[in-house]
Amino acid sequence: MLSFFMAFAKWLQGTWWALDISGSTWAYPFVQATHFSGLSLWIGTNLALDLRLLGIGKKRQNAAQLSEALFWWNWLGLLVAITGGFMLFASAATKYIPNPAFELKLGIFIPLGIILHIINQQKAKSWGATSETPAIAKFSGLVELLIWFTVITCAVSIPNFDTH
Amino acid sequence: MLHFCKWLEQNSFILWLDSNVVLSLVLEILHYSGFFLLVGTTAIVDLRVMGLAGRKEQPSALAQQLRPWMWTGFAMALFSGFFMFSADAVDFYLADWFRYKVIVVLISIVAGALMFRKVRHSGENLSFPVAVKVGALVSLVLWIGAILVSVEVPAISGVG
Repeated sequence: MLSFFMAFAKWLQGTWWALDISGSTWAYPFVQATHFSGLSLWIGTNLALDLRLLGIGKKRQNAAQLSEALFWWNWLGLLVAITGGFMLFASAATKYIPNPAFELKLGIFIPLGIILHIINQQKAKSWGATSETPAIAKFSGLVELLIWFTVITCAVSIPNFDTH
Repeated sequence: MLHFCKWLEQNSFILWLDSNVVLSLVLEILHYSGFFLLVGTTAIVDLRVMGLAGRKEQPSALAQQLRPWMWTGFAMALFSGFFMFSADAVDFYLADWFRYKVIVVLISIVAGALMFRKVRHSGENLSFPVAVKVGALVSLVLWIGAILVSVEVPAISGVG
């Protein structure tokens, strides 16, 4: 399985646009900025909803209203983050594939976080109908919050496991 | 200022903090999370003012809801950023791109805070005059610029 991923990584890293990103002084930071702008929207709106599910913050709007207000921008943020992230990955794919922090981030915690986020977003309609959220909503919001902190932990740990 | 940076770098607490791998990681996580929270919430309000996000939502209610998280994000990013800066204070101080980052971030925060203030006091209004929409666009562009300058700091100056 690893050899399949490595073959894919080698091919991806050799594409003209991946070589352009890795070979340019300016392109890499621009792609990184795209990734971080998307993450700001995605993580920022996720944290706002999770903290609201936890019952923290002003209660002028309930969790259901907040979730609805942020819905499209939340997912647009993920789309931009994935686009930027894929381009960053492509520029050094063979270094990322064997990196344990990257494997944990992409293989376990991001899928887990997205699945739980979809559940929280769906459930926010009933959990967040009133200003006081039920215990299960608080628990679910807390778990999602911890998963995204773990994703960030894995992301900032990637250079520590860089063997090249 | 350079003397202060040198003193900061040699401070025993900062040296201890810098040598502690777990705490350094926690600071980095706090910095990124705070930055995402700050930029994400500001961007949503800017997009709402421009009529691009949550059109059914009352802008003043949205700004009221998100304002505490914007400042929480700012506090997290500033607190962790100070300690991250302290560990390599002299190098950061001497790096041009770090100075650009500080300037752009400061302008972005002022623009973002002014926008939040304007929107919070907009009452029942669902749309805004063109000048306010342009202000929101400027705030959004400034934050994207702040991210770009931030990632340029390690990429070009090699610090951080």
